[in-house]
Amino acid sequence: MFSKTIFKQTLKSNWKLWAVFTGIMAVMSALVIAVFDRKMISSMMNMVKNMPGIADIIGDRMDSMTSVLGLLGQSFYSLQGIILGLIFVIMTANSLVASQVDKGSMAYLLSTPIKRSKVVRTQALYLISSVLCMFLIVTSVGLVTVQVAHHGLWAEEYTADVKAAAQVLDLSDETVAGDLTLILADDDAVTSGAEARGIDKDVYTTYLGLKMAENAGVEQPGIPADQMEKIQASFMAGITAAAEVLDVDASDLATDMGKIKNSDAAMTAAVDASGLPKELFVTIVNGQLANDELTLDQGIEFSVKDYLLLNLGAFLLLFALSSISFLFSCVFNLSKNSLMLGAGIPIAFFLFQIMSQVGSSLEDFKYVSLNTLFAPGDITGGGTFWPQFAVLAALGVVLYTVGVEVFKEKDLPL
Amino acid sequence: MSVLQIEHLTKDYGSGRGVFDVSFEVNQGEVFGFLGPNGAGKTTTIRHIMGFSRPQHGTTSVNGLDSWKDHYIIHKDVGYLPGEIALPEALTGTQFISMMAELRHITDMTHTDYLIEKFALEPSGGLKRMSLGMKRTLAIVTAFMHDPQILVLDEPTSGLDPMMQDIFIGFLNEEKARGKTILLSSHIFSEVDATCDRIAIIKDGRLVSTFVADDLRHNESKTFKIEFASKEDFERFRTEVEYPQKLNVISVKRHRNQARVLIDDKDVNSLIAILSDYHLNFFTEIKFTLEDYFMKFYDENQSVEEGVENAAH
Repeated sequence: MFSKTIFKQTLKSNWKLWAVFTGIMAVMSALVIAVFDRKMISSMMNMVKNMPGIADIIGDRMDSMTSVLGLLGQSFYSLQGIILGLIFVIMTANSLVASQVDKGSMAYLLSTPIKRSKVVRTQALYLISSVLCMFLIVTSVGLVTVQVAHHGLWAEEYTADVKAAAQVLDLSDETVAGDLTLILADDDAVTSGAEARGIDKDVYTTYLGLKMAENAGVEQPGIPADQMEKIQASFMAGITAAAEVLDVDASDLATDMGKIKNSDAAMTAAVDASGLPKELFVTIVNGQLANDELTLDQGIEFSVKDYLLLNLGAFLLLFALSSISFLFSCVFNLSKNSLMLGAGIPIAFFLFQIMSQVGSSLEDFKYVSLNTLFAPGDITGGGTFWPQFAVLAALGVVLYTVGVEVFKEKDLPL
Repeated sequence: MSVLQIEHLTKDYGSGRGVFDVSFEVNQGEVFGFLGPNGAGKTTTIRHIMGFSRPQHGTTSVNGLDSWKDHYIIHKDVGYLPGEIALPEALTGTQFISMMAELRHITDMTHTDYLIEKFALEPSGGLKRMSLGMKRTLAIVTAFMHDPQILVLDEPTSGLDPMMQDIFIGFLNEEKARGKTILLSSHIFSEVDATCDRIAIIKDGRLVSTFVADDLRHNESKTFKIEFASKEDFERFRTEVEYPQKLNVISVKRHRNQARVLIDDKDVNSLIAILSDYHLNFFTEIKFTLEDYFMKFYDENQSVEEGVENAAH
C-alpha cells in the first residue's frame, strides 16, 4: 500500500517546513489562550451593554468572546490557524508530486520496481499525516497553556492568600480554607492574604465575605432591578469622571478600579459626578474588585470536549483543502499550473469566507466557500456541526482518491 | 531474441511533435544506437519504453512484458539513466544511494561499491551543492547498482568531462562484453560509433534509417582527396579524366587544385594508374563517418525544405 523508504525520504525533505509552520501555529494559539483575560472582557461587556449603539454593532460576536474557546474560534480558528495551515498544505502538496515531476526527480522513484500508485499513495499519506500531527501538536500545546495560564483543567486546591494566611496563623492550609473567619479574626493574616492577592485590605475583607457566602451556598441579597439600573448608571458616570481626572480611558479604568482608590482627586470627582454617597460608591468599587477576585478563583470556563472538536474541525477543513491541492498536484506536470488551481481555489475559499462575514450584502459568498463548513461558533455555541464534518471528510477522501487515480493513468514527462 | 520491442509506436503531441509509427527492436546482447538531434523524439520513445507514457498507437515491450502495464516488473531488469539529471535536493549522495538500494531491494552493496570506485565518486556531500558532473556520476551509479540486464541510456555522456566520458564508454564496452542489452540514445557520433552494433536515425519523430554499424565502417566505396602540384596538372586532370567521366569526381576546389573522387574498392588500381601521370602533392582517403551518413539525411531534407521556401518567395 505504502512505501516506507519513500516516506522516509519525503519526511527528510519536508520536515523543516512542517516544523516551522507547526511551531508558529502552536505559539499563536497558545498566545491567544494565554492573553485571554476574563476580568477584562467581562468589564468591557458591562460597559458595552450600557451603550446600546455599540452593542448592536458588535452584536453576538462579543458574546462568544467571553470564553477562551469563543475567542479562539473568532481569532485563531477563523484566521491565523486556517491561513497558516493552508499555506503549509499548498506548498507541501505541490512539492510532493507536481514539483518532482516538473524537475524530473520523480524519475528515480519511478524507475525502481515500485508501482506508481504506491509512490503517489505514500505522498498522500505524508500530506495527511503531517496535517494531522500539526493539529495534534497545536492541541497539546493549547491544553498545556490552558492549564499553565488559567488552571483551566485542574484548579489548584488552595489559593495563594489562603496559603499565606495559613503560614501567618501557623495552621494547615486545609484548616484555614475550611474556616475563612480565622483569617478575618487576625489582622496580620488579613494583611498577608491581601498582599498575596495584590489587593487592598478592605477589598480583601469584602472578598472573604463573598467567598464565605459562596461556600455556604447563600444567595447574595438582590437589589431590585430598576434601582440597580439607576445605581449602575450613576456609578458609570462616576467612573467616567474619574477617568478624566486620571487621564485614562474609561474602559481601562473599569477593568482596574483600584486606581480610583489610590487617587483622592479621582475619588472626589467620581463621587461628585455619580451623586452617590461616598461610602456607597466605595462599597460598590470594593464589591466589584472582590467579585473579580472571585471570578479568578473559578478559573476559566473551558470545555476540553469543545476544544478537541474545534481542532478536529480545523483538521477536517484542512484535510479537505489539502485534497484539492493534492489533486491538482497530481493532475499537472508543471508546478505553476498545479499551484494556479491547487493554491488558487483554497485561497479563494478563504477570501470568500472572510467577505461573507464583512457585511450582509456579501453574505451569499459563504455558499461558495468550503470554509463555511467549519464554523467555530457552531461548535462552541451548540449548533450542528457533525454533518458538515462528514462532508469535509468525505470530500477529502474522494479528492485524494481521484488524485491517486489520475496520477496512475497519466503520461509523465520523465 | 529481441529484448526491447517497439512496434508502430505513435504519440502525437500536436504541431508535428511526438513520434510517429516508430518500430525497432533490440536483441539480447546488442548495443543499439539511437541517433537524432534534440527534439527528434528520442526521449519520447524512451519514456514509452520505461512506461512513463502510454502509447496512442502501437506497443513497447521489454522482455515480452508491456511497458505501460507491467512497468514495475520491467524495472527490476532495467537500468535507466535519464537525459536530465534532477536529484532530490534535501539528501546527501550517500543517503540517496542507500535510498535507491532500499527501493531496489539491494542488500549486497559489492556492485555499488565497485561502481563508486570505478567512477571515482565521492558521495558524502549534499546533492544541492554537487557539480553537474558529480550528479551525473551519482545518477550513473544508482542506475546500474542492481547490475541490470538492460541499460536504457538517454544521452549519458552529456555533462561528463572528457576523461569521465572515456571511463563511461569503457564501462559500456565492459557491459557489452558481459552480454548486456543496451539502448543508447545520443547526438554525439563518436560515442555511438565507439560502442554500437546497430544504429537507428530518428528525424522529426520518424525513423529514417536503421543499419548495422559495421556496414558503414567497411564501406565498399571510398572517397579520395587529391591535390595536384600545379594548376596545369589540375586542369589537365579535369579535361582528361573528369569530363570524359573516367572516374567519378564528386567535387573540385579550383583555388587549391583539389579534387575528390569516389571509387569502388575494386577500381583502386586504375585510380593509381591514372594518377601516376600527374604531379601530386598528396592523395588521401576521406573516411566516411557516421556523421556524414547522419548529415546526409538531415541535409537532404533541409535542401528540399529550402527549395520549397525559395519557390514560395
